[in-house]
Amino acid sequence: MRLPISWLKDYVEFNDTPKGLADKLTFSGTEVEAIETIGSTYEGVVVAEVLKVERHPNADKLTLCTVNPGAGQMVVVCGAPNVKAGGKYPFAQVGVTLPNGLKLKKAKIRGVESEGMLCAEDELGLSTDHAGLLELEAQWAPGTPLSEVLGPPETVLDLEITPNRPDCLSIIGLAREVAAMYGTTLKIPALALAEFGRPAGELTRVEVQDADGCPRYTARIMTGVKIGPSPDWMKRRLEAAGIRAINNVVDITNYVMLECGQPLHAFDQELLEEGRIVVRRVRPGEKMATLDNIERPISESMLVIADAKKPVAVAGVMGGAGSEIRDVTHTVLLESACFKPADIRATSRKLGLSTESSYRFERGVDIGGVEWASRRAAQLMAQLAGATAAPGVIDVYPTPRASRAIPCRYSKVNEVIGLQAAAADMRRVFASLGLGASENGADACLVSVPTFRQDLEREIDLVEEFARIYGLDKIPTPSPRAELAPGASDRSVEAIYFCRNALVGLGLREIMNYSFVSGALLDLFDPNDAARRVVLPNPYSADHSTMRNSLLPQMVETLGRNAARQIREAAFFEIGRVFEKKEDGTFQEETRLAIGLMGAVGRSGFDRHHPVTEEDVFLWTKGIWEALAGTLRLSKAALADEAFAGLEAGRSVSILMDGKPIGRFGLVKAALRKEWRLSEPVGVLEVQFNPLLGRIFASRSFSPVATFPSVGRDMALIVDTSVRHEDILKIVEKVAPKELERVELFDIFAGEGIGVGKKSMAYSFTYRSSERTLTDEDANRYHENVKDAVKKSLGVEIREG
Amino acid sequence: MKAQDLVDLKQKAVGEAASAAAPSDLEAVRIKYLGRNGLLPEIMKGLKDVAPADRPEVGRLANELKNELQAAIDSRREALETASGAQKAKAFDTTLPGRWRTLGSRHPVTQIIERATSIFSTMGFTVADGPDIETEHHNFDALNTPQEHPSRDPKDTFYLASGLLLRTQTSPVQIRVMENQKPPVRIIAPGRCYRRDATDATHSANFHQIEGLYIDRQVSMADLKGDLTYFARQMMGENVQIRFRPHFFPFTEPSVEYDFSCHVCGGKGCRVCKHSGWIEISGAGMVNPKVLSNVGYNPNEVMGYAFGMGVERIAMILFGIPDIRLLYENDVRFLGQY
Repeated sequence: MRLPISWLKDYVEFNDTPKGLADKLTFSGTEVEAIETIGSTYEGVVVAEVLKVERHPNADKLTLCTVNPGAGQMVVVCGAPNVKAGGKYPFAQVGVTLPNGLKLKKAKIRGVESEGMLCAEDELGLSTDHAGLLELEAQWAPGTPLSEVLGPPETVLDLEITPNRPDCLSIIGLAREVAAMYGTTLKIPALALAEFGRPAGELTRVEVQDADGCPRYTARIMTGVKIGPSPDWMKRRLEAAGIRAINNVVDITNYVMLECGQPLHAFDQELLEEGRIVVRRVRPGEKMATLDNIERPISESMLVIADAKKPVAVAGVMGGAGSEIRDVTHTVLLESACFKPADIRATSRKLGLSTESSYRFERGVDIGGVEWASRRAAQLMAQLAGATAAPGVIDVYPTPRASRAIPCRYSKVNEVIGLQAAAADMRRVFASLGLGASENGADACLVSVPTFRQDLEREIDLVEEFARIYGLDKIPTPSPRAELAPGASDRSVEAIYFCRNALVGLGLREIMNYSFVSGALLDLFDPNDAARRVVLPNPYSADHSTMRNSLLPQMVETLGRNAARQIREAAFFEIGRVFEKKEDGTFQEETRLAIGLMGAVGRSGFDRHHPVTEEDVFLWTKGIWEALAGTLRLSKAALADEAFAGLEAGRSVSILMDGKPIGRFGLVKAALRKEWRLSEPVGVLEVQFNPLLGRIFASRSFSPVATFPSVGRDMALIVDTSVRHEDILKIVEKVAPKELERVELFDIFAGEGIGVGKKSMAYSFTYRSSERTLTDEDANRYHENVKDAVKKSLGVEIREG
Repeated sequence: MKAQDLVDLKQKAVGEAASAAAPSDLEAVRIKYLGRNGLLPEIMKGLKDVAPADRPEVGRLANELKNELQAAIDSRREALETASGAQKAKAFDTTLPGRWRTLGSRHPVTQIIERATSIFSTMGFTVADGPDIETEHHNFDALNTPQEHPSRDPKDTFYLASGLLLRTQTSPVQIRVMENQKPPVRIIAPGRCYRRDATDATHSANFHQIEGLYIDRQVSMADLKGDLTYFARQMMGENVQIRFRPHFFPFTEPSVEYDFSCHVCGGKGCRVCKHSGWIEISGAGMVNPKVLSNVGYNPNEVMGYAFGMGVERIAMILFGIPDIRLLYENDVRFLGQY
């Protein structure tokens, strides 16, 4: 809503700068988005009369105009198509700087010297219109400063009106707010309408067939209308408010709409079949073109204004092309009505047509002010269009809206806001907003709500009214009252923090990706799960059309994005939700942890420059998992070889908890990596997040720290390359004495001296007793037993260590 | 052997030790005096020949000689070792890059959420959670959002199957908590939200909010102001002020938008606050009695406030991040800054 301040001042007195007014509006709930100045003082620009128009000798589209700028005559070159001898236009002599910043210099245009310039709107900074010269009324004497014609510069506030305040979609509604803000009085124009001739009731009829859709409809008949341009002051106000001037009758309907918020429509009554109005729903097969000459697909759910035969307007949205005001119109049927907001909204949305009128009806107009608006427009038509009002108004208003009274407790107001305001202050604020407030017991008043404030229904609404006008800055700022909420626990949150900190400590950076991805990205990893994906019916782009069912595709994509930016190493984690459609059609979401590694992230120093092998990256990924599982005390977590879509065969494992799979890790398939030109192995892990958190705060027991010294023994085996570390551990485990504290693999070697198809694996064994110091003989005995078992089980050679 | 001889000998021996030029010289001094066949053992042997009356004094002096000389030798040895160590260190490059795996980092959005959570937790708030896929009931209806409210428009909201959508705000968590818990309630709910916004420097279809809700017998707008002020000062800086502007939201009444005074310029006006001195944060208000009724609370018995805040927005303000998209690009060079 655009609010020209000079117009506002017609209805309310206040003494403040535009900035001061804007702040007061903002802090009472009407947000000012911009303060704009229209027009200027037009230094040096005057009214000039064009005396003669001749063709430019050297250019077809230019003319030479002899003008009278008040004294003497001057010749100017003009390119405007609308220049006419006898017309009056703004004129600036050479030397003048125009409001758009153009300084006029002496210059020859196509060989003819121009002594000045006749101006269009854009040159005067009035608009961007450069279609032709700004035409001025004939009454202005040549030489009159343009500032006298156009008036002083106008300041316009651009306001954001919240949907609960349709009353503020009008100058008077805003003036009421301003009056309350400054403690001054609202001045509403007094109406005196002279009526002559045959009564309106004899000249037309109104039939409302749908009182639900149209609870009130008034019609007035204006005769002897002379269509012409509106006076400059009205045009200026409309344009400042953002509405184009058309002709006096249409402009008046718009002017009154802006003034009081009631949209009006003027029909040429002669063009109405039988000169009458029927308010009804669209009939099957009916068609209609609106004022803008566009055929609209009206349908049976829509309310229309019809004449005896056909629709002539889409109710509350836009008038029809067939009944609009013409230059020759002499009888006007003036509509002022109230329509059901939901109907107008539905119609406007269906037609994709939003107008100043529909915008207001959607939010709700003041049903009590419908007739006032009609009278106000009639008065202006009488004044400005030579019209005569036929006596009386047709007012179909079967169920007048009862006024509402709301009890309001002073103590409640103070309690909610946290104030100690006086009852008198509250009543004063209510009265300043046009609400009646009468005493109602010791602690309450009864507030009567006029029809223009239909948003006020309950006591809490009045609390808000008081708070915003009294001033939110008056609310104190007490210290927080940190009382305990019973049963409150943040253990689960602490567990997440613990886990996240562990990941950060392991050197991983947290990333965040969108919850939606493209189906194509998911297909790259697993084209077979498409049926279980949650697909958005109305995505905003195809790249974000599907809810992610795994964190890994974006994890790899993120590594790829970094690699494309010449970043060689990255270790990432993400904690995020994934989504799945179950077989029964319901949706399920689950939080997961994902990890992604590329480059030599597991090394430090110069080692980082050695090439990275598949085994490196796999074991780093595994190492992170082991470290994490250790710190999260997941003693029951196990791993098992398993193949997964998107992961390299033989290089992926499943993570099991209590025997149930909860995740996986491994190397990303080489073919997939190539999508992002990732040339080195990429390790990823994805695991359900909640099972990780369960044991972080589990109670802990003490186990004594060993006090007796340990004895170390080594063992090197030459085995087939197919023998796995785990195979050896299993054998050792079976025969190990309780004194075997630790077995550690410390070297693997294949190649020269070992034999084809063989490898050497070297282990160090640590023996310790909790009861005594072991002797060398004890250790030898234990170690021999273990060696024998390994030899026997694997049939291998042992190199003594 | 006279007492005075021992005093002289001590002075001489200590002097030789202190002036030894190399560890080998020092060792020679040690052998000369303290060695098995050195001067001191000799003196000890000769003690029996000293007059009985002088014996204690000579014995004491001999001991003193032994101790002081040993101390002098130790101290000189240390000095010599330090000197030769420093020479060696000349070949030791202390400026080489350190070798240790670096720490990772938390995402800036996480940092804001964790910081905000811990601030509110000092005020007695606990964290509540809800699903990203919400019901229309929790996201709109129970929050008193009119059927025709623009936020429900499929242009702005991602709908899934009938009655389900991607939550557009964290406010549905309020409803879930109140439906399942009797007052008093004091929660914050950080979480991910979705709006059908075209992505640009300040808009992201996928973003995070932190919701706050405090319901009790007597909670006022002043409490809201006080608590948000405390939060603002902990989060942004000691002298940050808060201001309310009246606004309209269906789920609160009175509703406000709240601003923080600029933490960079202190309200004088700078680039960060676009020269207004204030930074718009988000919306808040007193929980609409209709919302309380919707969850089965009695609006005559309890009341409370609710607020929201955009996590990305706060991260951008606090960390000076110019474009919201940086938060979702996950460039190592960006993440490493926070």
